[in-house]
Amino acid sequence: MGVGDAVKNLVIRNLSKTYFDVYAGTQVTAVRDVSLNVPESEFISIVGPSGCGKSTILNMIAGFIPHSSGEILVGGKPVNGPGPDRGVVFQSFALFPWRTVLENVAFGPKMRGVGKVEREKIAHEFLALAKLSEAAGRYPNELSGGMQQRVGVARALANEPDVLLMDEPFASVDAQTRMTLQEELTRIWEAKRPTVIFITHDVAEAVFLANRVVALSKGKVLDEIEVDLPRPRVWDDLHENEQFKSLTARVLQLVRSA
Amino acid sequence: MTKRSFISALWFCAPFAVLIVLWAILIPYFDVNPRLFPHLTAVVQAGIEGIQDGTLVQHIGASLLRVAVGTLLALLVAIPLGVAMGVSPVVSTFLTPLFRFFSVLAGIAWIPIATLWFGYGFGAITFIIFNAVFFIVTYNTLLGVSTIPLHVRNAAASLGAGRWAMLTEVLLPGALPNIVTGIRTGMGFAWRGLIAAEMIATNVGLGYMLFVARDFYKTEVIVLGMIVIGVLWLLLDRLLLAPIERATIERWGMVQRA
Amino acid sequence: MKTFFLTIWSGYVRLTARWPSIGSIAPFIPLIAAWWIITELQIFPRVFLPGPVDVVRSFGTLVYTGILPEYLQDSMVRLVVGAFWGIVLGIPLGIFIGLSPRAHTVLWPPLLFFQAIGDIAWLPILVIWFGYGLTTMTVIIVYTVIFPVVLNTVLGVRSTSITLHRAALSLGASRARLLWEVVLPGALPNIITGLRNGLGYGWRALIATEIIVGTSGIGFLMFDARRGGSLVEVLLGMIILGILWYIVDAWILAPLERATGQRWGLVTQ
Repeated sequence: MGVGDAVKNLVIRNLSKTYFDVYAGTQVTAVRDVSLNVPESEFISIVGPSGCGKSTILNMIAGFIPHSSGEILVGGKPVNGPGPDRGVVFQSFALFPWRTVLENVAFGPKMRGVGKVEREKIAHEFLALAKLSEAAGRYPNELSGGMQQRVGVARALANEPDVLLMDEPFASVDAQTRMTLQEELTRIWEAKRPTVIFITHDVAEAVFLANRVVALSKGKVLDEIEVDLPRPRVWDDLHENEQFKSLTARVLQLVRSA
Repeated sequence: MTKRSFISALWFCAPFAVLIVLWAILIPYFDVNPRLFPHLTAVVQAGIEGIQDGTLVQHIGASLLRVAVGTLLALLVAIPLGVAMGVSPVVSTFLTPLFRFFSVLAGIAWIPIATLWFGYGFGAITFIIFNAVFFIVTYNTLLGVSTIPLHVRNAAASLGAGRWAMLTEVLLPGALPNIVTGIRTGMGFAWRGLIAAEMIATNVGLGYMLFVARDFYKTEVIVLGMIVIGVLWLLLDRLLLAPIERATIERWGMVQRA
Repeated sequence: MKTFFLTIWSGYVRLTARWPSIGSIAPFIPLIAAWWIITELQIFPRVFLPGPVDVVRSFGTLVYTGILPEYLQDSMVRLVVGAFWGIVLGIPLGIFIGLSPRAHTVLWPPLLFFQAIGDIAWLPILVIWFGYGLTTMTVIIVYTVIFPVVLNTVLGVRSTSITLHRAALSLGASRARLLWEVVLPGALPNIITGLRNGLGYGWRALIATEIIVGTSGIGFLMFDARRGGSLVEVLLGMIILGILWYIVDAWILAPLERATGQRWGLVTQ
């Protein structure tokens, strides 16, 4: 992506999160001593059951919630609140319902002070990448869930972030659409090569997308598994692929055993 | 005006034409005492006279000016206050019952105390309208801001929105459907409160016109006043407020809340 | 320090989760305290702003002399009678207009117009027709309640899916049964919303009517006190009005609305 910038990597050291639960009236530990190293242009998936702390980790990287101890460094700089260096794709899409698709995608550049003509050019470019050019003038609620999430991905990428954070982005679309979106995401990743952290509870999805899968349980990292499947990846090939099957089985066993 | 909307406007007017014809025929036919219900001609004449000697215009002007001043003042205070309180979940949870309570009192119940504080006249009436609009709009703004999904606010922050952009790009548009609904409800109460207050506390305005006419059994002036009040409110509500409400709520696909 | 506040807030949240009424009372405590302090410091003259103690004392006197219970009863009876007729006339009319497109074409525009005239504007001519008294008040309240009920019932009837009608008919329902089994329940959430709005307007209309033409009732109490320059009773009247309506709205009407609309997953707007 950008030229001559600092390294777009992510380093997490001894990250922990404890917070005060207002409803329970006690301290709760959600994440315990997590360390992670994501080099530039790597695609990692973090997989684990509901409540394992994976979304908390992502929210801390995004800067939505403060971390209790440890360090998060993006491109060498410590994270302190949300910022445009980390793009986020949300499970609930989080599109602005009062803005058209084009205006949603152009939002990031607008915040940077890019002029109207220029930012609409950028937005059109990323809409084309997400195969959404025809929908530019429509409002989010006029689109299907799958299309809305494509807008979400285009919006995050149009801001040219160092790291792309995806929080179970395909969990609320139907199964067929999900497979299409997964294939499109790998295609976009190959075209743009962003650094991606992808959160999911779907083991097959984690393996399909990533170069590396991090298995998480009860706020701790269990293991990391390299995925060296060839790209481009499409479901038709991988369904029968023995290596894919064994990798998926290994991750599944890991997550379930904990 | 397109042909279709012209026809629907015609259909809208047709029942009134029937009513007017019935009025013109039945009242003379049954020889109704004009002290009980006026003839159509008398009302028309009262209208023409009122316009010619300027009294009707004066009453209408006074009423509309009071509504405009009271509403504008209320909005200037209510919207910023509602937004400021709505951003913090703690503050909005705590204060919601307070504003519900005062929304209930809005309008007419303030007449006695308003006339004691401000005396009879412009001050008291503006205060009543201010009150009717202020509490309901503040409450609705607070509600609107506090129900914007956290994800949407997070999305804007991670795309680089600062405080000002958060306000203009997310909080205000997000709360707008609620704000408009609040204005519509509040002005409905304000309009009724105005008529009631003008009957008691002033010497000009539509309410005053009606009430004085009652002393002299001038039913034609009363009926004229009622028609003017109805038409004015219908124009205000249906041509100004309702279309804004529909445009935001329907286009953005946002469900109206509370 | 932060933990200290969090602990307090946590305690408050858990308390209100168990007893929700505490959550609706607690915010008034600082307000009343501020009111009390301001009046004790005599920032405004007593005549302009009496303190909470005066209001409580006057509450005691008015209850003891029996004036307040009597006036309260008068106001409530008027509201209940008005609401009753508003419902009895409004719902059938709403269903009729909702089901018949022809009736809709003819009656909808006048309905909007007569609603726009507003209750209070009828007051002068009603006084000429019926004089000062219960008839005038009842007519005004019925007039106020009926429009939101009719308009919302129409909305509810028209938004009930045609598939539901077909389903019921194909399951062997007669036209009359269809009305009772499908149309009415389908429109019920909207009817209740209409009733809630209608009573909200009716309540205010009642107060206005009592202020202008009344000889008893809470509105009359306030206006009578105002004429005598006694702000204490005006404030007392306002507080009673607020509390009464808050109880009716927050504890009866809103839960009713939620029970039908949310429970059935029908939110029509």
